[in-house]
Amino acid sequence: MTLMQTITEKARNLAVRSPWIYRINAGSCNGCDVECATTALIPRYDVERLGCQYCGSPRHADIVLITGPLTARIKDDVLRVFAEIPDPKVTVAVGVCPISGGIFRESYAVHAQVDQYLPVDVNVPGCPPRPQAIIEGVAQAIAIWRERI
Amino acid sequence: MLDTTTIPLAVLLFPGGLFALAFGLALKGLDRRVAARLQGRVGPPLAQPFFDLVKLARKRTMVPDIAAEPVFLGTPLIGAVSMLLAAALVPIPGVYAPNPLLGDLLVLLYLLAVPAVVLMIAGSASGSPFGAIGFSREMALMLAYEGPLVLVVAAVALRVGSFSLSDIVAYQQTHGAFLFDPVMWPALLAFLAFYPANLGIVPFDIPEAETEVLEGPLLEYSGPALGLFKMMSALKAVVVLGLGVALFLPLAPDGPAGLAVHLAKLVVLMLVGVTLLRVSMGRMRIDQAFAFFLKWPLALSVLSLAIVALA
Ligand code: SF4
Repeated sequence: MTLMQTITEKARNLAVRSPWIYRINAGSCNGCDVECATTALIPRYDVERLGCQYCGSPRHADIVLITGPLTARIKDDVLRVFAEIPDPKVTVAVGVCPISGGIFRESYAVHAQVDQYLPVDVNVPGCPPRPQAIIEGVAQAIAIWRERI
Repeated sequence: MLDTTTIPLAVLLFPGGLFALAFGLALKGLDRRVAARLQGRVGPPLAQPFFDLVKLARKRTMVPDIAAEPVFLGTPLIGAVSMLLAAALVPIPGVYAPNPLLGDLLVLLYLLAVPAVVLMIAGSASGSPFGAIGFSREMALMLAYEGPLVLVVAAVALRVGSFSLSDIVAYQQTHGAFLFDPVMWPALLAFLAFYPANLGIVPFDIPEAETEVLEGPLLEYSGPALGLFKMMSALKAVVVLGLGVALFLPLAPDGPAGLAVHLAKLVVLMLVGVTLLRVSMGRMRIDQAFAFFLKWPLALSVLSLAIVALA
């Protein structure tokens, strides 16, 4: 039993070093998306060194970055894509839009807060947040993900 | 020589199986690391593909509602097993010669076609439109590169007079490597164009282009099934590069030194033919890749076959 436990623990420690990231744009103004792309792509903030990888398919994802205030137009699609992501997964809301609606909060066309619909684990406030903040959010998400995988 | 006892060992442990898998994953890790460095990034740790596999083993495999489930889940298994077998067919000069009962170059050729076929079937079984696009692109690409490969292999076999990889290695060890033989240069060039396409990297990763068709056939796969595909592609790197070494430069000392030399050759092939190529080029369109293969590698391989037949 204890041997089993140590093996599981070891496997978990290895698995947690491979978080794959998927971005959902829930009607963002694109400011946050640019910052997310920056976080991943430019040499200065290379997240691949943490083992992260941006993946094209929701089926491959472990950590979901959601940006935008969840507009009425896109809400059902976002919920559908989110359901396609296999467990265990962690959700990071990037920007103030998913938290409160941000500059769109009074609009009839948005459904913020996002956590009414999706289980948000980490909030990264900012409009848009700095890449360092997004990386810290991802690091916190990895810590949460460790408990789930 | 017709001793069958070593076959399970060769398929499961060395040089197929665990050894090939570990080395293939290391090659992939090295490729990612060096590519990151070339782009001015730090890059992932060398063991990253191994972490990815462990992670995928712990995730859930989801099957889409419209997928044909037995085919959807069976294809990754077939692909990984075929590459496991193929890895045991590739000789390591001075260290390992495949048992003739296991098969020769022709069997290896068929096994090498399996991953592409498996990806096509997987893409269409997943029921996703992106999978279907991946299917048609994979098929076009395969039609384009399979011809040159067969002709290259035929040219080498004609030169040696045998389809056995052990004979091909032995011939070159007495007569000098084909790499330094001008008669074989067209075949060599055709092979150099073939293997990036077979390994599915930029500029030939058209079927799995993640920025346009969202990884095509792999789109719907998750968890252990996706892990099997990753294993398949890691093993395939070892098999294809090993085949190249056996066909053109199988000169190595006996014993552990031979193994080290062989691994070093694979690393060089990977870094030059895969990493450098993929960071320095953009992706081709499928029609461009198709035209390219039907023009240059095919012409070169026909030329090499003609030269060898006449010489
Ligand atoms: S938080 Fe700001 S930058 Fe981000 S999507 Fe909302 S409005 Fe745009």
